[in-house]
Amino acid sequence: MKLPLKWLKDFVEFNTTPEDFANRMLLRGFEVAEIIPEVKAKGVYVCTIEKIEQHPNAERLRVCEVNVGKDEPLTIVTNATNVYPGCQVPVALDGAVLADGMEIHPTKMRGVPSAGMFCGGAEIGITDAEYPGASNDSVLILNEDHENGQPIAEALGLDECIFDIELTPNRPDCQSIIGLAREAASALGQRMKEPVITPVEGEGNAEDYAKVTVLNPKLCPRYLARVVTDLKIEPSPRWMQLRLKLAGLRPINNIVDITNYVLLEYGHPMHAFDLACIEDAHIVVRNAIEGEIVTTLDGKERVMSSDMLLIADPKKGVGVAGVMGGLNSEITENTKVTLFESAVFLPDNIRHTTRKLRHSTDSSARFTKGVEAVNAEKAINRAIELVHMLGAGKVIGSMIDVTAEPPKERTATADIAHVNEILNTNLTGEQMAELLSGINIECKVDGGKLIVNVPHFRTDIETGIETDWDIAEEVGRLYGYDNIEPTLMVGRTFQGRLGRSFALEDEIKDRMAAMGFMELYNYNFTSPQEYDALLLPENDEKRQTVRLRNPFGEDQSLMRTTLIGGMLRTVQINCNKKTGASRFFEVGNVHFDNNDDLPEERKMLGAVCYGANESFFTLKGVLEQLFSSLGIEGVRFERGGGEYLHPGQKAVILINGDKVGEIGCIHPQVKRNFDLPVAPFIAEIDFNKLLCHVNSERKFKPLPKFPIVPRDIAIVVDENIDAQTVIDVIAAVKTKAMIGNVSCFDVFYPKFPGEKGIPEGKKSMAFRFELRSDDHTLNDEEIGLSVKAILKSLKFRLDADLRS
Amino acid sequence: MLEELLKIREEALKRLEEVESESDLSELNVSFLGRNGALTSILRTMSKLAPEERAKLGKEANEVKQFLAERFDFVRSAIEKKAEERRIKAETVDVTLPGTVDIPMGKLSPLTVVYRQIRDALIGLGFTTFEGPEIEYDDYNFTKLNLPLNHPARDMQDTFYINDKVLLRTHTSPCEARALMTLKPPFRVVIPGRVFRVDEPDASHSPVFMQMEGLVVDRNLTIADLKGTIDTFVKAVFGENVKSRLRPSYFPFTEPSAEVDISCTICGGKGCSSCKGTGWMEIMGCGITNPHEIENCGLDPNEWRAFAFGVGVDRVACLKYGINDIRLLYEGDARFLRQL
Repeated sequence: MKLPLKWLKDFVEFNTTPEDFANRMLLRGFEVAEIIPEVKAKGVYVCTIEKIEQHPNAERLRVCEVNVGKDEPLTIVTNATNVYPGCQVPVALDGAVLADGMEIHPTKMRGVPSAGMFCGGAEIGITDAEYPGASNDSVLILNEDHENGQPIAEALGLDECIFDIELTPNRPDCQSIIGLAREAASALGQRMKEPVITPVEGEGNAEDYAKVTVLNPKLCPRYLARVVTDLKIEPSPRWMQLRLKLAGLRPINNIVDITNYVLLEYGHPMHAFDLACIEDAHIVVRNAIEGEIVTTLDGKERVMSSDMLLIADPKKGVGVAGVMGGLNSEITENTKVTLFESAVFLPDNIRHTTRKLRHSTDSSARFTKGVEAVNAEKAINRAIELVHMLGAGKVIGSMIDVTAEPPKERTATADIAHVNEILNTNLTGEQMAELLSGINIECKVDGGKLIVNVPHFRTDIETGIETDWDIAEEVGRLYGYDNIEPTLMVGRTFQGRLGRSFALEDEIKDRMAAMGFMELYNYNFTSPQEYDALLLPENDEKRQTVRLRNPFGEDQSLMRTTLIGGMLRTVQINCNKKTGASRFFEVGNVHFDNNDDLPEERKMLGAVCYGANESFFTLKGVLEQLFSSLGIEGVRFERGGGEYLHPGQKAVILINGDKVGEIGCIHPQVKRNFDLPVAPFIAEIDFNKLLCHVNSERKFKPLPKFPIVPRDIAIVVDENIDAQTVIDVIAAVKTKAMIGNVSCFDVFYPKFPGEKGIPEGKKSMAFRFELRSDDHTLNDEEIGLSVKAILKSLKFRLDADLRS
Repeated sequence: MLEELLKIREEALKRLEEVESESDLSELNVSFLGRNGALTSILRTMSKLAPEERAKLGKEANEVKQFLAERFDFVRSAIEKKAEERRIKAETVDVTLPGTVDIPMGKLSPLTVVYRQIRDALIGLGFTTFEGPEIEYDDYNFTKLNLPLNHPARDMQDTFYINDKVLLRTHTSPCEARALMTLKPPFRVVIPGRVFRVDEPDASHSPVFMQMEGLVVDRNLTIADLKGTIDTFVKAVFGENVKSRLRPSYFPFTEPSAEVDISCTICGGKGCSSCKGTGWMEIMGCGITNPHEIENCGLDPNEWRAFAFGVGVDRVACLKYGINDIRLLYEGDARFLRQL
């Protein structure tokens, strides 16, 4: 809401700087987003042109000697044709900044130095509304005598400012100059000068000129109208135009300007119809017929539906209630009789209409936030007063008033002690009453209660359960939150706690970062194409996506079911930007549309690595370390996993037989689909499943007392037997010595049959294991027996031979 | 014989001066002091001498032996020292060459770092972590929080909808309703999580961002307690010198409502372009929980009072690190992550 200081001064004694005022308003809950000067240009002054000569080198230029109130005259070169010796014009001098941001410095024009530039209205940032002639394209000739050297804003009486104030939705009353003036006065330690409207009773009987019928009083609880005849449609006076302009509206003609002026001043939207265009001069407020078309003032056809409220005459629609008037009954220069409308419409209904029509206006914005019946009456009375004041026409009779339910006085009762408790203050009822009175909320103290006479404009103050809180808010705001000393909570002590899942997330993130991974926060939105790019079959669970009803676009229309797509995009970005990174991880939620209730939410851990130093095994190693650090045992990697992975380099991750995730190299086709220069290795793990297997009650096991004997063996086996199978066989062998820590440390595939004595279809693998005993040092015989038993078992179960 | 002894002494000393390496030295050692060395040979012949002479010469010979042994040791240590110096010289590196790394540098997102700082400050004040779903019922996100259908304040938060009843939560506040309905008061919870708004991404907007909600329910809470709580975590995150203030605002779920400003982290409160000359920066909203919300969630607002606050983790991270484009937090550009 734009609040011109000029207008504010009608109601307030402005006795401070704009900056101080902005700060005072801020601390009362009204944020001044910007203090806008009335004139945008800086460094522009009044000057008198003393002498004009033809430019020696240019036919179109003239050289002017100007008086800017200094001892020495200045030379200005201009191409303006409308200037003449003796005229006063604005001149931008060295360092000036024009309305469009252009800076002015002395220059030479075709060899003649020029100290600056003459300005027209556009360069200063004004139009006819601010000063007559300012809308012309040429240099602005001032038509009154001013002092040379005076800043132009001052000379034009435009040296004040406009406060652009941000309003919170609970204060619809402040969408008006008067509403803001009330708060402003209080912020400045004054009482607002209450506006007094002189009622205008006209001759004749308004009912003889017009008739109003409200068919749906629920959606239109009040409809007020006044009739004005003998209209003289002309531009409104300059002061009115100027104020509209400063507040951000475009002047049109006196009647329309009056409705807009009242809209701004009182915050109540009004409309003026050309009564001659209203069939039978009969306004009918009714629901639209489904599909009924109204052409609004902006020339657009609006297709109405039956839940929208229409302002009509007996034959046709003449306006969309609360949104915009109809083109067919617009005020034109030929309009002779008008009907002013000031109505109350139901906010929900107007909101619904603006949404459905995708069209909102200054009026609809106010209706949707809520207007009220008393103000509607003040507004129309003010409009008629202005008609009278401007001599715009002849006011007929009195108000046509169709009111379903007359406005009621409202009283609320607040508990003084409770208000003090909420605020931690110690104010008396009288002190509270005095604070509230500053913004025209009058109260009586009755014992421990504050009886609040709720003013009609404060629709936000409730007369129910919320009253104490409402009053606490007002008192707190007026008393000043800065005056309330902070305290720390008292009472019983609480044990603060980091939940188990949160703690585990911290631990996983720290581990991943320690292992060289950078943390990602990727967006949850994804495109339907992503699942094709990941080669997922139609029935893949990851295709059970949740779809947004109002996405930014199709490519961001789904909630992700996997972190993989996002991680691949991260790889792509980092490769393109050559960031030199190679490891990333994310912990984030994915969603599945697999039940009738809320979608299933799963927290996932995703990890990706790529580049020359990475392989399936570096990523696997990272996961193994991670699991081990979390005390997770029973981890196995088995061949398998989703279609997006390389068929030869993918595995499912099992913990105690429970599938928790997948790991692998990206499928070559997926690599191409995501336009990646490398094939990353990727893993995705279900966070909550992981959580189930975390052993947070790890216990110390005594360190071995007797030496551990490591042994290596190399065997020749069928090439299809994988390491885990061999490990399982070795680990299962029972001998006197305990066998543990079995691992595979080398695999050799012969490049041709028989290489190094390995027959066709076989490969060589080398394993290391540890032998130990808890009660004695193993002797050679025991060690030999164990190795023998292992080899025997390998031969028996896997047809494996010791490599010679 | 004495002369011979002295000759050996002289000879040894002369030869010692020419010694250059450890091997020269041990060779010399063998030829003079060794089993068949010159000195040993002389000593061996002493048995033939008369006892008095033997005693005299023996003493003399031992002194020579002792003397030479000491000289040998001295020269040996000098040679060793030289050798050590040569080795050290050979092993000297250019310390300005770049360090080598086995593992690339990993990093937590600034969002995680800031979230933990705030969270841990609150845990210190007795808060417990709590969480709720990102895809939420309209009822929890709005209606229970005193934002019934068609409430004008719904326009404050542009919402991604799944259907009429389900949406992407626009704030972490629906978890307030979940906490109020499931936990036994009094309690203090801190609720982090992702939230979503229909905001086209630009330097200061992201359709996905991270919020943290604090909710305290007790019998005697005041707005002064709220101020104190907020001041505690503002200082924990931004430092002891940073001030905070509350100024009136409006949220449907709190009353009274306030915005929290902190003294500008760039200029320290003197006024600069970052704080538009005011010396203050807005970081979050807060207030005394609206009695309607308490009631909607099944508690008696006259028995239980609550306060709540919601802080944008992104905003705090941007302020704290001077990040001028919120989108960087979601782009995964390693060059950005490495810096912070």
